[in-house]
Amino acid sequence: MAFFRLDPELYARHKDEVLRLSNSFQTIERRGLSDREIAERLGLDERTVTEIRVVAERDCYPLDEWERAIEFKRRACTEWSALALKRPDLKAP
Amino acid sequence: MKEELPAGATKHLKTLALKAGATVVGVADAAAFDAHAPEKHRPADLLPGARTVVVVGGAQPRAGDWIAASPWLLSTMGTTERIQGVGRRVAQAIESELGYYALFVPPGTASGDTPFLSLMLAAELAGLGARSLAGPVLNRAHGFLYWSAVITTAPFEVDPPEGAPACPAPACQDMWEREGTTPCLRVCPVDAGGCLGGQLENGRAIRTSYDAGRCHTRVHTHWVGGFQKVLEETLNEPDRERRKMLVYGDFMTRTLWAITYSSTNIAQCFECMRVCPAAHGLREMR
Repeated sequence: MAFFRLDPELYARHKDEVLRLSNSFQTIERRGLSDREIAERLGLDERTVTEIRVVAERDCYPLDEWERAIEFKRRACTEWSALALKRPDLKAP
Repeated sequence: MKEELPAGATKHLKTLALKAGATVVGVADAAAFDAHAPEKHRPADLLPGARTVVVVGGAQPRAGDWIAASPWLLSTMGTTERIQGVGRRVAQAIESELGYYALFVPPGTASGDTPFLSLMLAAELAGLGARSLAGPVLNRAHGFLYWSAVITTAPFEVDPPEGAPACPAPACQDMWEREGTTPCLRVCPVDAGGCLGGQLENGRAIRTSYDAGRCHTRVHTHWVGGFQKVLEETLNEPDRERRKMLVYGDFMTRTLWAITYSSTNIAQCFECMRVCPAAHGLREMR
């Protein structure tokens, strides 16, 4: 059996819709759909939807956003520490 | 299999869970998941014949962890594994003492970022808390907790949902009246490069938007996603010396440490919970 490879074109066509419908990005208001339910809705097979979803989860943001995450946490953490301990000197420059 | 539980079995199990280290314990009806979770992520999909789900919560960060000046401390001090140990103990007791099937819900993912069973949903349905505006389920008495769940064929007595949610806290309602925002919305605003959007209406927290993709870059900065991103960047980098900088650099090194200690290092962003008045102890520390 050949290794399953997702067609990049198919991926590009469906990635936003699959993510929106999936349970990966849970919201309070609505239940996410299973991969099979998404497949039925989009006319794809379940394995393809699973692959699109998993790749799309990682494809939301470029690597730069990971760097921004580090900076965000550094700043937020030291600001809270300074506030909670009443030590403005702890704030990040 | 037995049809009925001995009298007091639910109480006995809860006492055992608390003695084993749980801060809170509750029981959800397995069928109650059907309305909220898709197929393959419901108790009976994982354990055929499931009747209840026992949920334990605890192992939360200490007050000192919350005020630590390094954002990396909370992630490397992650204590999820401690509550998982309690979950395993509960599963063992159900099978050995009562003779019913008990499936400890694995803390990992079924595929991609999707869990086998939503532990937050389980905690809500077991009456242990309610979802906060920021996302995590908060318990009224203890705030932010880690969760573990056991699916079982045992017909334990089911708990009702928690009465009033911990979110929004009174301090957040005051802040909303004053400034039109809350601590979690202010620290991570979706319209300014963050993840959260929401509002308070008639004393209730309503989430209006949430950027799960960006939240992932913060919660799992140095984890599987970060590794894949740097790996892709490295493979695309034609220059050997530049490739080395990426592979040997701080980001990749931290990521590899985190992955190799993955059971204790999964959650890596706590900023919306750090500033949440309902999430951790209100007792003043010195």
